[in-house]
Amino acid sequence: MRLVAAALLAVLVIGGLAAKLAELQITDGATLAGMARANTVRRVVIEADRGIIYDRHGVPLVANNPVWGLEVVPAGMPLDARARATELAELARITGQHEERVAIALAAADPYSSVSLAAGLSEAQELAINERLPQLPGVSIVQRAVRTYVDPLVFGHVLGYVGPLNETDVKRLGSLGYQPGEVVGKVGVEAGLETLLRGRNGWADVEVDARGDVVRTIATQPPVPGDSVYLSLDASLQRATAQSLAAGLVRDGKTAGASVVLDPRTGEVLALVSLPGYDTNLFTHGISQADYSALINNPDRPLLNRAIAGQYAPGSTFKMVTATAGLQEGKITAATLLSCPPYLNVNGWIYHNWASYSLGQMNVAKALATSCDTFFYQVAAMVGDVTLAKYARAFGFGQAKTIEMPGVMPGLVPDRIWKQLECGVPDLNSDACRWNTGDTITFGIGQSYLLTTPLNQAVYVAALANGGQVMRPTLVDEVRDASGHEVQTLHPEVTGTVPASAANLMAVREGMREEINRPYNMNYWFRAAGVPADGGGKTGTAQYGGSGLDLPTHAWFVFFAPYVQPEVAMSIFVEKGELSEVEAAPIGVQVMKFYHDHVTAIRAT
Amino acid sequence: MLAVLGLMTVFSAHADWGRQLLWMVLGAGAYAAASAFDYRRLRSAAPGLYAGMILLLLAVHLVGHSALGARRWLSFAGFPLEPSELSKLLLVVVLAAFLSRREGVSWRSFGLTLLLVAPPAGLILTQPDLGTTIVFVAVLFGMLFLAGARAWQLFSLVFAAGVALPLLPHLLHGYQRKRLEIFLDPTQDPLGAGYNLLQARIAVGAGGLFGQGWLHGLQGQLGFVPERATDFVFAIFAEEFGLLGSLVLLAVFGLLLIRLLRAAAVAPDRFGELLAGGVFVMILAQVVENVGMNIGLLPIAGIPLPLISYGGSATITTLAALGVVQSVALRRREIALGDGALGTITRRAQA
Repeated sequence: MRLVAAALLAVLVIGGLAAKLAELQITDGATLAGMARANTVRRVVIEADRGIIYDRHGVPLVANNPVWGLEVVPAGMPLDARARATELAELARITGQHEERVAIALAAADPYSSVSLAAGLSEAQELAINERLPQLPGVSIVQRAVRTYVDPLVFGHVLGYVGPLNETDVKRLGSLGYQPGEVVGKVGVEAGLETLLRGRNGWADVEVDARGDVVRTIATQPPVPGDSVYLSLDASLQRATAQSLAAGLVRDGKTAGASVVLDPRTGEVLALVSLPGYDTNLFTHGISQADYSALINNPDRPLLNRAIAGQYAPGSTFKMVTATAGLQEGKITAATLLSCPPYLNVNGWIYHNWASYSLGQMNVAKALATSCDTFFYQVAAMVGDVTLAKYARAFGFGQAKTIEMPGVMPGLVPDRIWKQLECGVPDLNSDACRWNTGDTITFGIGQSYLLTTPLNQAVYVAALANGGQVMRPTLVDEVRDASGHEVQTLHPEVTGTVPASAANLMAVREGMREEINRPYNMNYWFRAAGVPADGGGKTGTAQYGGSGLDLPTHAWFVFFAPYVQPEVAMSIFVEKGELSEVEAAPIGVQVMKFYHDHVTAIRAT
Repeated sequence: MLAVLGLMTVFSAHADWGRQLLWMVLGAGAYAAASAFDYRRLRSAAPGLYAGMILLLLAVHLVGHSALGARRWLSFAGFPLEPSELSKLLLVVVLAAFLSRREGVSWRSFGLTLLLVAPPAGLILTQPDLGTTIVFVAVLFGMLFLAGARAWQLFSLVFAAGVALPLLPHLLHGYQRKRLEIFLDPTQDPLGAGYNLLQARIAVGAGGLFGQGWLHGLQGQLGFVPERATDFVFAIFAEEFGLLGSLVLLAVFGLLLIRLLRAAAVAPDRFGELLAGGVFVMILAQVVENVGMNIGLLPIAGIPLPLISYGGSATITTLAALGVVQSVALRRREIALGDGALGTITRRAQA
């Protein structure tokens, strides 16, 4: 009887096992089989090569250099606690990190994915580790492409740099399928053209064993490399501009400046320089805290791209706007003579000219050539602040240009409402908040509350040069995909037209031509450099930091050339420059000298 | 047949199948020797066997080798010997000898039985070897039942176990306690302590109806299933041969177990009957626990699947045990009602 009971028990128990087995294998079979495959088949992302950035002549400005890094798949490490600890200590020693930090990094990660423990290994390190790899299960050496920039101090502010994706980028770029830790453009063209440069990652489904070692590859989708971008930048002109600006700054004991050189016919940016620059390669190779602090705390703010984001009063370089407005609104003609007294008394307030003596009667061209402030005070008063603001906006002031990099600032064109809102006094109708005549007349010489950027200045000069067309500045000439097909070409875009007749603009340009051809002062630089003074220019020494007589200044020089059918327009900015004719203009002349020789050389070939 | 299936699976599990074959041959020898040997002579040898078992287990504690945190092995002429495996069979013999001295189980012999089992069980539990201890308890319970223990006695054993259970966590080693917790919720640590269980379940499930085919189990072949040649060999088997293969395996075990019971039924004396019954319990307990833990029904304890798992001591012990039962069966008497083993049982049940 008991034996029968035992037999029954055995049958029952084995039947129970069979039932459970059936449930597992049949009911849950598909799910668990999927899990088994997921367990063993892993999708490995094959990173796409990031697109290369070239200058307009095909000179590469960045390279994807191979760099070796050490990666660990935690699940591949020995299971035995002691062997694991030994390997951990060894890894800490190799990478020069604290053992605890390595342990934490590994414990926090997905055990089946690779954890990068060291990037940018030296060749000696790479060799040493490679030799010991058989004794280090789970550890592998991977080759990664690291962005390496050519001449970062010259091209850095244009190209920007890339870095690992962070939360800010995720918000900015949204769900574009970025992998954690993937490299993404942070600033400059690298950020502005991220979608073109990135390419599309490929993948490989590989079968791995429990140690994470690849057994075989099941399927692959090759990556699509990023597009090649041919900038409108001329690398040699960019270099020459940076060198001329740097030399000028050094000569006058200044530390910061910027310059933008455009083709006024197309809006192509030929050079865009902001000094001081910084080594963007530090960022792609993993910047140290010390280096980063040094950059952040540098009083000259090297990380600020002054060319697009530095906002300064334009000073006398703005006088062409006032002149255009006066002419076009019929307040003056090209022949109208106005006085140029040493000062103007407006409602009891004294507004000075730069000269303490009268320069006599003059027309608008001579007023531009001599940069007579009191002449333009009168014109501004005649035109009025509202109309002046309208012309300023028509020339592109106060407008953030759409260019292929983030961080472009608009500058500022003030008006009555703006002043009331910004005056900082509760009573918006108080004197401090109300627009006054003084605001208007200083507006006329590019002071007041007006702000602009070197980029906006270049676009403004280009518009003067090309007959009133405000071009969209662009840094990109051409984009080609990996197989060399053009995917994007230059389409010059006019974003606005200055409401001024050709004759009136010609009268203004005439003033600019006279300015650089005066027998003394400006013309000296052209003669000294052996550059024909064929074009038009305007200097500006802009006060900043309040109102009064002895305020600090910035120095500007804007220029276009040649005078007939201009093909280059530029702005030169010297931060804290004191005399624009002496500090800013010679830099522009040097750039022109290079441009002249360079173009002659290119045309000769 | 079991042995062939086992060999194939062990081969698939990348274990040293040549060695396993050698052990099978040795086991077959043990089987032949044991079946030729008159089992009745074991009865008189029982006290000596008991002493030998205690000595072996003591020796493990004193001079044994460790693996995976437990001290279980003795080196014996160059071969690793796992005495706890051997002790399962020895326990069956000893208990059969002790319990067959008289009909039924008095409270006195019940107590003495417990005293008899306690020392070797304690020695094994402290190796630590939870799996073998479980088999010991199962064999004790099963043989007391077969020997005619009263319901109260068995109930008190269950009761004692019930009392001991809450204490168990304190007695268990850290990893054993962890296993128990993990069994209750394997996902709480899928890559650590729960790894074995989950991976084994995934492997079994992945087998489906027909299996992935011999040598084609993803989980097993790529090393995701731990201890794949021993404790988790069933998972490998199930992944590669599927539900049908697993059911065949279970059926073969079922047939084997029924044959063991038949041997008990036709045994010429009470000793033989208990011997066969004991081996039945021993194999049943191991099959249930091993398969059960492989499919996530029972907590993990290191128990080999008889004749399938890789391991010399276990293979030889199991085959020797089967040989002993064969020896019992060979010496059976004609079955006649009112006479012989089955008759005695029937009478006892009527009483």
